[in-house]
This record gives sequence, C-alpha cells and structure tokens, in this order.
Amino acid sequence: MTTAARVWRSPTRGRVGRKRANGSVAFYGFISPWLVGTLLLALFPLGYALYISFTNWDGLSKVKPWAGLANYREVFSSPDTWSSLYRTLLLIVFVVPATIVGSLVLALFLNERVKGRVVFRTLIYIPAIIPPVAAALIWKNIFVTNTGSANRFLALFGVRAVPWLIGGHAFYALVVMMLWGLGVGIIIDLAVLQTVDVEQLQAAKIDGANAFLSFRHVTLPAISPVLLFQTVLVLIATLQTFIPSLLLSPATAANATQGGVIGLVPKSNTFYMVNVYSQFFSYSRYGFGSALIVVFFVFILLLTGIIFKVFGRGVYYAVDPTATNRKARRR
Amino acid sequence: MTTPGVLPPPAETATPVARQRDGRPPVRRLRQRPRALFIVLLVISLAMMLPLLILLITSVTPGAQLDADRWLPTVFRWSNYRDALTGIPFWHYARASLFLSVVYAGLTTLSSALVGYGFARLRGPGKNVLFGVLIAMMIVPQIVTLIPTYLLFSRVHLIGTYWPWFIWGSAGAPYAIFLYRQFFSSFPRELEEAAEIDGAGRLRTFLTIFLPLSRPLLVTAFVLAFNATWGDYIAPTLFLNQNNTTLAAGLASGYFSNQNIPEPTVLAAGTFLYVLPVVALFLVAQRQYVRGFINSGLK
Repeated sequence: MTTAARVWRSPTRGRVGRKRANGSVAFYGFISPWLVGTLLLALFPLGYALYISFTNWDGLSKVKPWAGLANYREVFSSPDTWSSLYRTLLLIVFVVPATIVGSLVLALFLNERVKGRVVFRTLIYIPAIIPPVAAALIWKNIFVTNTGSANRFLALFGVRAVPWLIGGHAFYALVVMMLWGLGVGIIIDLAVLQTVDVEQLQAAKIDGANAFLSFRHVTLPAISPVLLFQTVLVLIATLQTFIPSLLLSPATAANATQGGVIGLVPKSNTFYMVNVYSQFFSYSRYGFGSALIVVFFVFILLLTGIIFKVFGRGVYYAVDPTATNRKARRR
Repeated sequence: MTTPGVLPPPAETATPVARQRDGRPPVRRLRQRPRALFIVLLVISLAMMLPLLILLITSVTPGAQLDADRWLPTVFRWSNYRDALTGIPFWHYARASLFLSVVYAGLTTLSSALVGYGFARLRGPGKNVLFGVLIAMMIVPQIVTLIPTYLLFSRVHLIGTYWPWFIWGSAGAPYAIFLYRQFFSSFPRELEEAAEIDGAGRLRTFLTIFLPLSRPLLVTAFVLAFNATWGDYIAPTLFLNQNNTTLAAGLASGYFSNQNIPEPTVLAAGTFLYVLPVVALFLVAQRQYVRGFINSGLK
C-alpha cells in the first residue's frame, strides 16, 4: 500500500506512523555512539577471542594453527586454573563482604549529624580515589620487609620482621590494600540513605525501636535493592583482580610486560586473571589465554544470572526503576 | 504502590533531623551518641590517612636514613621531589596522562549523556533489549574485552598511538550512561513538549534544555572518567610504549640510581606528586560530584 493512499484514508494515522519512525531514528541516532562502540570494542573482540581460543596462536606468526577443543580441555584439566580460581574465591571471601558492610556502616555513621562530618566524609573517601598504581606503591613502602612501617610497628611488640610481600603473607598485604579503598561505595550508600522515608524512621522511633531495630526494619529493606546491585558489581570487580597483585609484587612492573609475571607474583596472589595475563604476555599462548577468558566470561555471566534470579525482585528496581515508576504514576 | 529504591525528586533530599520531643531521655541520647560517633569517625579518618602520611614522610627521608629504625628522619630531604621530576621523564609522562584523561573524560561525559538521553526519553524498536545489553556491559569484565581489543587494534596499527582513548571516549561508559538515564528519566514530559512547540529538534532540546540541567552529573561522570584514566595502568602498558606512556605506567617502573639501585624515597616523592592532581580534582569537584550521585537516583 502506498503512503499516499493511507494518508488519504486516515491522515492522523499516517502522521503518527511517521512520527514514530522519526522517533526511532532519533533513538538510534542518540545511542549510536554506544551501540557502535559496543559492537566494535566489546562484541567483536569477544568474538575474535572466541575464534582465537580454538587455535594455538602465539600472537606473532601469521598462521593460527587450529586446535579444536584442546585449549578448553586444558583449561579444565590444568591445576593452575583450579588453584587460581580457588585463590580468587578466597580473595572474594576476604574482600567483598568487608567492603559492602564496611562502606554501609561508614555511610550510616556519616549520615548522623556529627560535628565535622563533611571533613570526615572527605578523609574517609580519599583512599578510594587513590589510583591503583599509587596505592600499590604506598602499601609496598609500608609492607617492605626491612624498612617498612608495618614491621617497625610490629617490632614494638617484639614481633620479628615478616616478609609481607613474599609468599603466603602477600595475600594479607593485598587484602589490606584493597580494603583501604572500601570507601568507593560510601557516596552511593549515602545517596541511597537519603531516600529512606523519614516519617517511617520517626514512626519506628515513636514505637520504641532502637537504632538497630529501625535499621533492620526500615532502612535495610529500603536500600536493599541498591546494596544487592552494589554487591554484584564489587563481586565482579574482585573476580577480575590482577593489577593490584601485579603491582604489589616485589619486582617492578617494567619486567612484567617483558614476561616473567608468573615468577614474580607470589602463588597466593596468582588469581585467575593473573594466570590469564601471564599466559598471554609471558608465554605468548594467545589461544589458551583466550580460552581461559571465554570460560571466565561464561562463568561470570552464569554467576550474575544466578544472583539476579535468586534475588530477582530487588535487582529489578535497580535495573529499571523508571519503568515501575512510570507505571505507578499512570495507575 | 510504593517503589523502594526509586528516588524522590532531588529537591526533597533533606537529611533526617531528629525532632525534639517532650521528656528528657531523647535529648540526652542525642547529645551523647554524636560524641561517641565523633571519636569513632576521628579514629577511622586518621587510620585512613595514615598510609598517606607515611608516604609523605618517606618522600622527604634521605635515602641513607631509610634503614634507620626511626619514625621520622633527622632532616627532611625536599630535593627528593626534584629528583622525582628528573629521574624519569616526569613531565613528559604527566602531559600524556593529562591529555588522555581530559580527552577520554571529556568525550565520554558528553557521549554518555547523549546515549543516556536516548535511553531515557526516546523510543525505538529493541530498546529494552539494548538496555539489557548495556546493563550486561556493566557486568562484563573490562579486561575480558581489553586483551581481544589489543589484538584488534594491533591489526589496524593503533598500538602506540593515542587513538584508542578517542575511540573509547566516544563510545561512552555504561556506568555513566546508566547514571544519566536515571537522571533524565525523572524529568517531566512537559519539558520536551514545550521545546517541541517552540520548534526545537531532539538534538537541540537535549543540548539547550537537558544538558545544562545535568551539571552535577556531568561533573560526576567527568571526575569518574578522569580518575579512571589517570589511574589506569593496564591500558597504557598494553597500548602505548616507553616513549609516550602515561605517568601511571612510568611510575610503576620505579626510580633507579646511576648504579641501578632502586630509590624508594624518590619513588615516594613521585607517587605523592602523581596522587596530588586526583585528590585536588576531587576536593574541588566534591560537592557537585556527590550531588550527581544523589540526583541520579540509584547507583
């Protein structure tokens, strides 16, 4: 059917149709930077990595010898994969709950009317904006065995010098360093705490609820969607940890790019992505490294999917609050 | 139906104030709790600042006194800072850092606003699916795409150039897009209708009405992106080379004396100088930065 005929029969309908078409052109126009970027910088590289994972490419030569599923078999059979995954999960146990709870508790403290809270908020938040390279250098300086402040402090109590950056101790040094920046969530938590209904809090107080009870029954339910979303983001960020562990290792990073990462990072800090990184840049095993990435990607996707499914209701608000908002308003 | 987690309009974000009531106990509690809290917060703040203080002390310690078993050096060696500026091509690296941070942050702030506006105010087929993809991109580990991107860019000879930062910046950042979308969604429909009656197109509506109203969020997005680039270690290490890399990568290689012995005190000075701009930017922008988060609702 031609448009002319349609316009003749129902002029308004034609105009609405054209307007909608215009609207979607505008929509795609506006989101095109991101859309093109995602296709080019995320989906295409992922597809490329998927292809490479079926080869034994060394990153240099022109030929990419086909390897079939051999790399994937190695991913699951290699003890390095499992030990690095175990280390990663251990790190998560140490870092994620402490980060989420810690920043929430600090936000609750800072939400009270305390003298100088603006200054406190600034001071507590500053470590969170310290770049990872600087944070690593700062803590290396503190934890270094012979001249570091950590051992000098422990010596006051008669503790002998601990080699913090070497061997199993390095894990604790890393955890301390990562927890130093736990303030990242404070600003978000503070913002969300503002949304808690003041009247409900007052009602709870009149009913005789103490601080803990009103937190448990009023504040927590109100902020839980955001907390969950934050937990997922922190969890995923922690799963990928590898730069802090590279930077905290005794040798300088300059050697790291020229290979030999695996020998420099203590075993306790060889997380999954550290293993990936060294497969690429120490051993030039681009095919195997890509297979590790693909497996990890699927693992994270599944993990996130499970979390969203289990706690679905809360996340729903976090993902698309305006949808419910609009619906509520229309009703 | 109440929707927990959805923010009321920004104007109503007053801090809860405990109302004074008759009877003494509440008043006394009010006075006591903040004092205990004050001390707790003071201790935490000092603990958080301690590592920076130690860095500052190390940075003015003469190299020979580093081994000495003392908390403060007998003399302050300020020339460590001069050595930090000359021991590595500090200004050269700093310029690269600044250039890339400003380019990336500037581009991504604007492009994210554009995309966020699209998701908030416009309609098109597949919008919900695409928004799901956007959320997924927030979850996808960046490093997962970084190494394949490296392979891709090395094929088109972009390794060793600054072009990747222009490309990344233009594509916007999922996190910032999400913030903008939340913010723009809260605006009344009448705002656009008024502009449409005046004959303004979509782009003009966005540029003249929505963008100026989103100043706190622009600051938030810019500061986040600036800090991310200034602090980024892995991208410069992979995508740039020794001659044009950034301060983060340059600093991580460390300082060495003529005898090739590491110089931790000079490194501490260099680290302090490296941290300074980020902290300064945060202090200057803090107010708007925090407001940006509050205005955009969740997250």
